[in-house]
Amino acid sequence: MLILQVLINGILLGGLYGIMAMGMSLIYGVMRIVNITHGALIMLGAYITFWTFTLWGWDPFLSLPVTILLLFLYGYLLQRFILNLIVRAQMYLTLLITFGIEVVMVNLARILWSSDLRQVTPSYTAANFSVAGLTIPYVRLWVFVTTIMLSVLFLLLLERTRLGRAIRATAEELRAARLTGIPVGHVYAVTFGLGAALAGAAGAMWGMLFPMTPIMGRPLTLKSFVVAVLGGLGTMMGPIVGGVALGLAESFTSTFIGPTYPNAISFGLLVLILIFRPTGVLGRRER
Amino acid sequence: MHILQARRVTKMFGGLAAVSLVDFDLREGEILGLIGPNGSGKTTLVNVITGVLPYSNGDVLFRSQSIRGLRPHEIGRLGLSRTFQVVKPFRNLSVLQNVMVGALFGARGGARELAKARSQAEEVLEFVGLAHRAQAPAESLNVPERKRMELARALAMRPTILFLDEVMAGLNPAEIDEAVGLIKRIRDRGITLMVIEHVMKAIRNVSDRIMVFHHGEKLTEGSPEEVLNNPQVVSAYLGRRYAEQAHA
Amino acid sequence: MSTKRWVSLLAGLGMVLLLGIAPEIFSAFMIQFLINLFMMAILAESWNLIGGFTGYASFGNAAFFGIGAYTTGVLLTRAAFPFAVALPAGGILAMLFGVAVGMPVLRLKGQYFAIATLGIGETMREVVYNMEITGAGTGLVMPILRTPLTFFYVMLAILAAATLVNWWVSESRFGYGLIAIREDEDAAAAMGINTPYYKTIAFALSAAFAGLAGGVYAYWITFIDPNAVFRMTTTIQMIIMAVFGGSGTVLGPLLGALVLSSVSELLATQLATLGELFYGLIIILVVLFMPKGLSDLIRQRVFSLKYFARNLREYRI
Repeated sequence: MLILQVLINGILLGGLYGIMAMGMSLIYGVMRIVNITHGALIMLGAYITFWTFTLWGWDPFLSLPVTILLLFLYGYLLQRFILNLIVRAQMYLTLLITFGIEVVMVNLARILWSSDLRQVTPSYTAANFSVAGLTIPYVRLWVFVTTIMLSVLFLLLLERTRLGRAIRATAEELRAARLTGIPVGHVYAVTFGLGAALAGAAGAMWGMLFPMTPIMGRPLTLKSFVVAVLGGLGTMMGPIVGGVALGLAESFTSTFIGPTYPNAISFGLLVLILIFRPTGVLGRRER
Repeated sequence: MHILQARRVTKMFGGLAAVSLVDFDLREGEILGLIGPNGSGKTTLVNVITGVLPYSNGDVLFRSQSIRGLRPHEIGRLGLSRTFQVVKPFRNLSVLQNVMVGALFGARGGARELAKARSQAEEVLEFVGLAHRAQAPAESLNVPERKRMELARALAMRPTILFLDEVMAGLNPAEIDEAVGLIKRIRDRGITLMVIEHVMKAIRNVSDRIMVFHHGEKLTEGSPEEVLNNPQVVSAYLGRRYAEQAHA
Repeated sequence: MSTKRWVSLLAGLGMVLLLGIAPEIFSAFMIQFLINLFMMAILAESWNLIGGFTGYASFGNAAFFGIGAYTTGVLLTRAAFPFAVALPAGGILAMLFGVAVGMPVLRLKGQYFAIATLGIGETMREVVYNMEITGAGTGLVMPILRTPLTFFYVMLAILAAATLVNWWVSESRFGYGLIAIREDEDAAAAMGINTPYYKTIAFALSAAFAGLAGGVYAYWITFIDPNAVFRMTTTIQMIIMAVFGGSGTVLGPLLGALVLSSVSELLATQLATLGELFYGLIIILVVLFMPKGLSDLIRQRVFSLKYFARNLREYRI
């Protein structure tokens, strides 16, 4: 029974890791940028939700579209006016600048919201239901459902819309995309915006499950990368698979080995995967 | 004396044979031309011989010793140098420094001292006619100059065998003639050469023998006259109908 | 060795001697500032070996700093070894770890290498957090050394050594090999450079110096815990210092460490929390406007806006 509970916990958490990683994977897949600001974007999503909840009493699930929109705009502007300037620079410079942006964001957050722990706690926070001896908190379940819905929406956007096609074309072959008239600067900005929106959504939901602080995003950036690599960088289904895998790994580690071990395991896993199978479980060969 | 012997060299990519059962001998001191349509496996062959790609099958003997399985730097140290089809300059270094790298590491480990490597590099630059650009940053060179620097770098390694991969691509006729002369002077220094080329006039003038590749296989080999008039060769490049027309 | 080389070597020696008398003139506060500065400079110079010359930007060198710190710390506290043994041990263990980790990880390309090293840094912190011998989450408390000047001189000595290694690398066959690897690894291999071997040595040297810096840090600060010594911020600081000064040059990392440490110190006293914020802004501005660092700015001798404008446009989409 415990095993089943741990399993369920892992899967529910995994959905969240999944959409975090989707954002990361998208940005990497299209622009080859490893987005160190990812965690800060998650954090921003969490704090926006906190603000709307605390100041105006908006239900966190209902304020989700607002958070998504705001993060999208933010990500769009960030890419359009700053990151587009260094897209063709060496990898470590791109990493460095996204780190710089992360530092700025985290410190602004510290100023705005202080380092105290905050949490979003709507009335139904503690409510749960039992089935077959398992306890499932409603919030976790709804978070999971929302992550699945967002993933599906996102995949539909990529596969079925003109914009999605433009994004995929730009990812495949930048020069050709340019030549066919695709406004690549804009497409890149939209891509980053989408990635930020996903991160923000993840953050909004994370804030309901766990306490938030300005530096909450740091371990999450790396974990998102673990998941993205595990599932295959640049793929879209991969992160979901990877997310669930990580969620399960953490859940089992936490319960059966010790609560301070999950991070060691996830980061160690990252290193091992990068060494042995950098294309991930579902990835395609790196060009 | 056969300095290099290839036996049934094969390289597969999945189900596709990029190089298939290639046999050839390279005589010491000769210039062997290698021609064939794009994608016929010429560069792949060089990549396999120089250790960049692993063999699927076959072997290559250098002075009767197998060199299969050696890594690129070991091949370089043995005395086999190559140029790359798409040149790979060390952009942030000067021309002289680029060539010095060749002198520092090349055959038998190269020169140990910077001063010695520098003078060797200067000598090579003089030989290929780039001495006037020695201090220029590699980035500032135009295409023919870059190709020449690539060649100089490989030469500075003091190779026994030099593989040239389409060094004449993008050169105008006058530059091509110069290049042919240079290649012959390289041979005069005692280096054996295998030259991959598409420029027919050049390959005809520079090679002692020519080998023709098609779809990864060695189609034929022989003297330039034999090979370039061979209907099979014409057909491989231009299609069978043209070959038939040409002989009608 | 050319005259120019001799001059630079002697100038460096002179600098070291000058700094050696510094304690006579400077206040205790200044001494502490200098110790920290020396430490950052060591880290920047150490990163420069693998990131600057070889072109493998490691984002996890804090791991080596931490290993040095903890090795020295554990030997000092648990085994009562003298510092003179514990410190080199820290450096050696960090170096060995660098070799062990380097061999698989250096085979990865650019971004994967960066993330893998980032992962290693983070993993080390989590692992050490769970180890008993290192005091787990509580950390280690060192014995107190009553002579603060020891730290000054030891750090200075290590810095001199790290700079010397960089100086040697910059004009040596080994250095040419590293630079060739950075510029074009395939061409470098074709030319006879044993790339895995060279990369591993550069990485090991980088690790060794970071480890030594960590070892001194542990004793100097007297208290370490996993969060303090395995910080990604430390890695980022060493990278931005090297880049700001000019990665791939000998003096660049020193310059970067000097300027950024000083600015950071000034900001810390004036602006408290805003200090880190400005650090982030500096990183952004440096990458956008002067990615080649101060060295390049000085070398080009153009102090015009055109230089910055050109850099801004160089890598855009």
